Amino acid sequence: MDVTFKIRRQNPEVPGQEKPYWQEFVLSDVDPADRVLEMLHRIKWEQDGSLSLRRSCAHGVCGSDAMRINGVNRLACKMLIQDVGERVQIEPILGLPVIKDLIVDMEPFFDHYKRVMPFFVNEDPVPEDGRERLQTQEDRELFDDSTKCILCACCTTSCPSFWANGHYVGPAAIVGAHRFIFDTRDQAGKERLDVLSEPDGVWRCRTIFNCTPACPRDIEVTRAIGEVKLAIRKGRTDGIIRPNEVQ
Amino acid sequence: MTSLVLTVRETLRYRGAIGQWSWVLHRLTGVGVVLFLALHVIDTSWAVFYPALYVKAIAAYQSPIFTLGEFGLVFAVVYHAFNGVRIVIFDYRPELWRYQSGAAVAVLIVTLLVLAPVFLGMAGHVLDFYFTEHAIAGDKLLDVVVFSIIEQLPFIAGFVGALAAAIVLAALYGMIRDGGSTVAGKYPEASPIERFWWAFMRLSGILILPLVFGHLALMHVVQGVFDITAAQQVAGTLQENGSIGPVPTAVEFVYHRWTYTAWGVFVWRVYDLFLLVLVTLHGFNGLRYVLTDYTSFHPFARRISSALCTVIAAVLLAVGAAALFVPIEKDIVGEALAATAEIYELRGEEVPAELEAYLTGAVEGAAEE
Repeated sequence: MDVTFKIRRQNPEVPGQEKPYWQEFVLSDVDPADRVLEMLHRIKWEQDGSLSLRRSCAHGVCGSDAMRINGVNRLACKMLIQDVGERVQIEPILGLPVIKDLIVDMEPFFDHYKRVMPFFVNEDPVPEDGRERLQTQEDRELFDDSTKCILCACCTTSCPSFWANGHYVGPAAIVGAHRFIFDTRDQAGKERLDVLSEPDGVWRCRTIFNCTPACPRDIEVTRAIGEVKLAIRKGRTDGIIRPNEVQ
Repeated sequence: MTSLVLTVRETLRYRGAIGQWSWVLHRLTGVGVVLFLALHVIDTSWAVFYPALYVKAIAAYQSPIFTLGEFGLVFAVVYHAFNGVRIVIFDYRPELWRYQSGAAVAVLIVTLLVLAPVFLGMAGHVLDFYFTEHAIAGDKLLDVVVFSIIEQLPFIAGFVGALAAAIVLAALYGMIRDGGSTVAGKYPEASPIERFWWAFMRLSGILILPLVFGHLALMHVVQGVFDITAAQQVAGTLQENGSIGPVPTAVEFVYHRWTYTAWGVFVWRVYDLFLLVLVTLHGFNGLRYVLTDYTSFHPFARRISSALCTVIAAVLLAVGAAALFVPIEKDIVGEALAATAEIYELRGEEVPAELEAYLTGAVEGAAEE
């Protein structure tokens, strides 16, 4: 079958293409089970070699090919043609500066992520047997969902609060913080909650719920954000976040 | 501005689910209600301080343009209230998130179910007023509309004044300390203030619910804005409007309401005080959220936004509380009568004989003194 791709393009280096514009490509012999990413490859290889996009593993693991497909944020490698129909509209994710075509500058996104200290902090001496710090299955369960994040930015760039305000830390950084705040072995919860209680921290979330369906890993993003809000609200007094990290 | 334009455009283009549209409606209805709140608090305080102006303000509310606006206002309040409950539920029980879209649909349905009888009741008041009680002469309709728009000019001047004050305050604040967060990755320091406001918005929202629904029922359904000037018993009191002056007036209505006591307490003044404080703080903090969302890359504009909300809220609280705390004198009813006669003339109605007699009598009385 024939499928029409309408792609948002922009190339600051070429005169006449500095401003974003739409370009259409028609592909024939497309199978409904083909992936959108493969079709973008075909356009690049068969029709226009200048089309630029990011992709790495092409199997929904690395998170580099996030784009807005038919109006919603998706990974191109996880979308099949049968999911998107015969007319497909593709544009870069919104809220981050476009470098070229579908490639955006991810640095502001990672800056927010780094701010919440997305690494394990525990200053206690290692256990005597020299092996891992043990944890019950119930404790592990608390943050299981937020370990699944692949930092594709689908959630953060689906958020109207982030579109309006690039200083907002955004859903992905909050999920990254959630991963460690709710880890009973971690000891830097207070620092993370301090970052997130800044004016452009977690309070800019208006509970719009665009982020949750945007996540290609099915992380319950809005729920994680809600739990962090409650941790900031209650954590200091009655310790809904367990042990050590909040004094 | 670019941030606002971008967000509006892309919100229309992004195919978010119903949660996104609930958020859009919540913002629009919130901003609409808060703008009316500013008019309403100032206007109502006039009943005590400038009775003649209050009569004109109520006449403006009774004009066709505000009649339409009243339906919008009631929709906005009811939708904002129910959707607010939905937000509170999912903020405090995030694990229930799977039900949020169902809840958003439920909010719309409940809003419509509540509004259907309310709008019928309000429409009844409108029809009674325009076609039986006060048939405004057809050729005077335009005059009435123009009058009710001109009546709002002082508010526009007030907003401009508040904006000027906010700019000055924001500039002064900027001299004392650098509150800017222009560079991505550079944040203002953590403060417990936002944490407080987040909880306050939710708590005050819930507290406002019974107060505002009581207020809507009383002032828009049982006795709407058109009954304020009718010869009826003032709902919530034992007094008849028109028992002090020769004709019923809006000012006398307020007089009866605010002088009514039960168990030695001025019930309606206490009620209105709670409503004033909670709604003003909730409303203008909400407006601050909206304005600061769209000014994130301009620290000065962001500071002006916060200052503007603070200035207007402070003025409304001061003026509103002043009106609720001063002792009310019967004289205010007399002061409203000349303006009441003007409104009759504006609408092309005959000035009632009692009112005419009273006014001439008052002039002669003054001359004799």
